[in-house]
Amino acid sequence: MNSNPHHTQSEPHAEVHIVSYKDHASTFLGLILLTIMTVTVSVFGADLYTLTVLTALAIASAKAVVVALYFMHLKYDPKIYKAMLGVVLLLFIVFVILTLIDYLIR
Amino acid sequence: MNMNTTFVLPNSGHNRDDVSSKMGMWLFLFTELLLFGGLFLVYMVYRFKYHEAFLHAHYDLNVWFGGVNTIVLLASSMTVAMSITAMQKGNIKLSKNLLWITIISAGIFMVIKSIEWSSKFEHALFPGMSHFNELGNGERLFFFLYFFMTGLHALHVIVGAVLLLFVIRAINQKRVTQDRFMFLENGGLYWHLVDLIWIYLFPLFYLIH
Repeated sequence: MNSNPHHTQSEPHAEVHIVSYKDHASTFLGLILLTIMTVTVSVFGADLYTLTVLTALAIASAKAVVVALYFMHLKYDPKIYKAMLGVVLLLFIVFVILTLIDYLIR
Repeated sequence: MNMNTTFVLPNSGHNRDDVSSKMGMWLFLFTELLLFGGLFLVYMVYRFKYHEAFLHAHYDLNVWFGGVNTIVLLASSMTVAMSITAMQKGNIKLSKNLLWITIISAGIFMVIKSIEWSSKFEHALFPGMSHFNELGNGERLFFFLYFFMTGLHALHVIVGAVLLLFVIRAINQKRVTQDRFMFLENGGLYWHLVDLIWIYLFPLFYLIH
């Protein structure tokens, strides 16, 4: 992104990266496009049966990543938050897999 | 009450830790993610089990209500993010106005949601009502999950809006400033979480095929 990194005068704090209004607006536009995409896939993709669930989830996840990286500043913040989120998501994926195994084998 | 806001630390301005403050907020958001995550697991299993019933039941939902609410939430997410930008640039007034727009968006979301829900009530589709009781197990589960998950989400919308009101108050009281905006950022993070959850709720309930 092309916004300048900005350093606050107070040294004890991590430097602040200001995301420009323009970047936020383009992020929003991207999210709207993805929303239109997911609605379109659902309305016109009638014969894609299971594929539509996967595409819907894939598009939703793409939107979630965009929100997390840009709106939630994860891209510019210290990496520790990203790492922690990764651990939690991994934990959730383990839950999903265990639940699926339980459901399929029972 | 007032004592708290007028109390000034001797070394005010240094006695803070922005990284930890945000980390605490993220830890809280993780508990929220897992709360909804558990519900999504329930949804996943029953959608496998009652695929046809879920498909059939979802035709009672209106894609337009869900779609417009998606756009409202995405827009409000943008305004709260811009509000932080404005605060960092020292434009306090714009920052507050953007927060107000976000709160109004929360109101719009809730109005649309209540119109949507009341049409379900009219059709007696709420768990326990006459039409609901006549449905098969799969449809019942769908509507139960629909009301529970969107209801819990709506509760988060209300909490998020109230939290942002407190942020505006903090800005007015100069507790949130250009150089000290962690409360604003954390309030924004909560609002984005509300948006994130809706991003998944929308396709899973309104766009089934």
